[in-house]
Amino acid sequence: MQIDIGIVEELTKREVAALDEKHARSLSYREEAKAHLPGGVSSSWQSWPPHPIYVDRGLGSHVWDIDGNEYVDYHNGYGVMVMGHAHPKIVEAVRKRVALGTHFAQPTEDALPVAEQLTERTGLPFWRFGNSGTEATLDAVRIMRATTGRDLIVKIEGTYHGHHDALMVSVFPSEEDAGPRDHPNAVPQTKGMIPGTTDWTTNVPFNDLESAQQVFAERGDEIAGMIIEPIMTNSGVVMPDDGYLEGLKEVCHTHGAMFAYDEVKTGFTVAWGGAIEAFGVQPDLVAFAKALGAGLPCGAIGGTEDAMRMVISEDLHQVGTFNGNPLTMAAAKVNLEEVLTKDAYVRLDEINAILRRCEDVIARYHLPASMKTLGAKGSIDWSETPIHEYRDLWAIDDRIPQLAWLWQLNRGVFKSPGSKWESWTTSIVMSDEDAERYVANFEEMAAAITR
Amino acid sequence: MATTEFDLGKIDELIASEEATLEPKHRESIAYREVANRHVAGGVASSWQDSPPHAIFIDRGQGSRIWDIDGNEYIDFHLGYGAMVVGHAHPLIVEAIKRAAERGTHFAQPTKDLDVIGENLSDRFKVPLWRFANSGTEATLEAIRLMRANTGRDMIVKIEGSYHGHHDSIMFSVAPNRSEIGPREHPVTVPQAMGTPQAFADLVRVVPFNDLAEAKRAFEENPGKIAGLIVEPAMMNAGVILPEPGYLQGLKDLCHANGALLAFDEVKTGGTLTYGGAVEAFGVVPDVICLAKAIGGGTPCGAIGSTEELYGPVIRGDYDMAGTFNGNPLTMAASRATLIDVLTPDVYEHFNRIDKVMKDGLSSVVEKYEMPCYVTGLGAKGSVIYSEQPVREYRDAVGIDERISYLAWLFQQNRGVFKSPWTKQETWTLSVAHTEDDAQRYIANFEEFAAAVTS
Repeated sequence: MQIDIGIVEELTKREVAALDEKHARSLSYREEAKAHLPGGVSSSWQSWPPHPIYVDRGLGSHVWDIDGNEYVDYHNGYGVMVMGHAHPKIVEAVRKRVALGTHFAQPTEDALPVAEQLTERTGLPFWRFGNSGTEATLDAVRIMRATTGRDLIVKIEGTYHGHHDALMVSVFPSEEDAGPRDHPNAVPQTKGMIPGTTDWTTNVPFNDLESAQQVFAERGDEIAGMIIEPIMTNSGVVMPDDGYLEGLKEVCHTHGAMFAYDEVKTGFTVAWGGAIEAFGVQPDLVAFAKALGAGLPCGAIGGTEDAMRMVISEDLHQVGTFNGNPLTMAAAKVNLEEVLTKDAYVRLDEINAILRRCEDVIARYHLPASMKTLGAKGSIDWSETPIHEYRDLWAIDDRIPQLAWLWQLNRGVFKSPGSKWESWTTSIVMSDEDAERYVANFEEMAAAITR
Repeated sequence: MATTEFDLGKIDELIASEEATLEPKHRESIAYREVANRHVAGGVASSWQDSPPHAIFIDRGQGSRIWDIDGNEYIDFHLGYGAMVVGHAHPLIVEAIKRAAERGTHFAQPTKDLDVIGENLSDRFKVPLWRFANSGTEATLEAIRLMRANTGRDMIVKIEGSYHGHHDSIMFSVAPNRSEIGPREHPVTVPQAMGTPQAFADLVRVVPFNDLAEAKRAFEENPGKIAGLIVEPAMMNAGVILPEPGYLQGLKDLCHANGALLAFDEVKTGGTLTYGGAVEAFGVVPDVICLAKAIGGGTPCGAIGSTEELYGPVIRGDYDMAGTFNGNPLTMAASRATLIDVLTPDVYEHFNRIDKVMKDGLSSVVEKYEMPCYVTGLGAKGSVIYSEQPVREYRDAVGIDERISYLAWLFQQNRGVFKSPWTKQETWTLSVAHTEDDAQRYIANFEEFAAAVTS
């Protein structure tokens, strides 16, 4: 059935007013913060209409804002805190390492155990570290270009891989800018990028092997490699079709190009072994960040022996003052060895079983929506037909997911903002009640918008 | 009268004997590297954590001291490439990090420490607005983008021989070989790493440091094309090269006269040279400032400072300056303690005092042994430059034989002083925990080195 947008707008007005009232301190603090922080925040994506919400602290599955409101955290810092906030084992690891010094820019014994864990989870033998997902995908692109001696990178339309120039192309292209589906334009995401970037980064639609094969047929000898989020996460949670990832790997290799996964969001969240485990296709390179560091700035780039050959031989310097920072590594080690164990992922399935009750709500209220979950990741797509690629989002009226976000916020659930989709990250420390709260709020909204 | 040249034959001999002394001290490091090689590419987490003769694995640090995994103790003048001016495991920073960890370290939402840090940075560096990131690389990436976004122009001017992080836009002519640098008035833009498209090099014009006329030439030859110029106000990757009087102000005037912007990369000088970094030391406020290293107290950090006008596109949302970990509460807690509680204005008097001991002591050794080198530095940063002629720019340093600084490094390393991996010069960083005795150890080792190479 069709949602009455008039009702949605009316409810949105009411929910914004209710939210403003709860956030008097956030609203006034923002004005103070503007004196020294552009927009009052430290990252543009920490600010979302109607206003940024300043967080004070977190413990387990809950966060508190500076107005004292408590929430169940489904935002989890854009999908980082799948282990929960201030996990005692992580706190202890940080306490122990900080007393011994946190930074030497020399090798320490902290990196190897993390690398061993990553190898066990992915089957990829060689690893280097950085400080963010941005740095990890930057390294992936450089390795692909250096190894192949080619310049062109293929990415997926509508995916975000960090804020360095090479991949900040066609991240959220507008319908007017995107061009034809069979040859999408390379659209710079922001002002100020290296002008030639769009000549050296092209993009194809997700879940469309033929389009990828086409670009290789046309420019195969120029292509250094392809980078892909194996599950597309900035459009909700879009699963790869059967055979898609395998087909991409094959077409890359046929043309002497490399195949890289950006598992910054899917790593340690969708499964113990990330998307590599979930879909059984191993890339040449993989970039990790987010959940790896248990709440500390982190990044990792790993690959096959062949893919990492030039880094190992030092023909290609993969560098950074803070790379392998002992504090980050100490947190990551305990996170991977003791917290995000195989057993921990069972809890995520239990949480999903409860969240899946949203499907009953969708059916009962005949909502034009569908639901996806995998491990800690899930989304509700406000679309009659499932989202299969970025362009499918254009049909969604973003007023509905925006209302859904406000609705949850006003009822004790913190979610990451998103315009056209409703997505979340759960954590292994969530209780049944935490999950039930989400479902109850969702049902309340369903009733309100279909009244 | 100084001798005109080092005896390289003697230096080779001494290198062999010092290497032979060093190796048995690092049996654990050498063995562990083989183990680490199995899953860490090259055995180290960053290529620049490894330098000949072998990578040295560190166990822990306290104050001005670090211990390697063989149990050797050193006075640390490396300080993690200049990041640990606060000293290792400073109690105030340890406490701040522990407290932050218990309150949750990451929300990707705004939190409250940040404006206090911004206020402190504004007090130091005289620009009002700040955003945060996770490394110097991320900071200079945003600085370049900010200059391009505001001017609508494409070209960037950088200084030959400067390093500004490992992103694509300015990883050119970082440490180019003498054979590929081309003429001084038109230096070749040399990619530092494979895997950087040549097309990007065409957007970067390289000029020598300390030469206003050459910078002017770059602008004259590219009218209306240059978005901005990025410079380390004191050049740091060829020893410490201080700017000549009027140079930085001249660059600023030149940029502005041509509708371009000036960015200071203060990743190394910020928090180290003076309370207000190079801005205070040389009295020039640029349009954009990049910080990292010292401001995080040992956590991965970065910051970009600028004016309200230049941050306009970010404030309006035309330009998303974003990152999941930007403003990470753990980093911010460590930064707050570092900037407000530890690196207080009086700390810089301490740096100047130790710096004077270092400079006086090392200079008198240079004089006594008539060595063709000199000592330079400012605040917590200093270096011995193995050249009789003053090094004013990268090209002056490129001819210096690396074996000299390698030997100096080995001498210190074998005698309880840890220095940054050797390059053409030796550079040191001091911390709040360094004492005059620590400086005297450095000087005594240097004298032993001087006596050996001139005997």
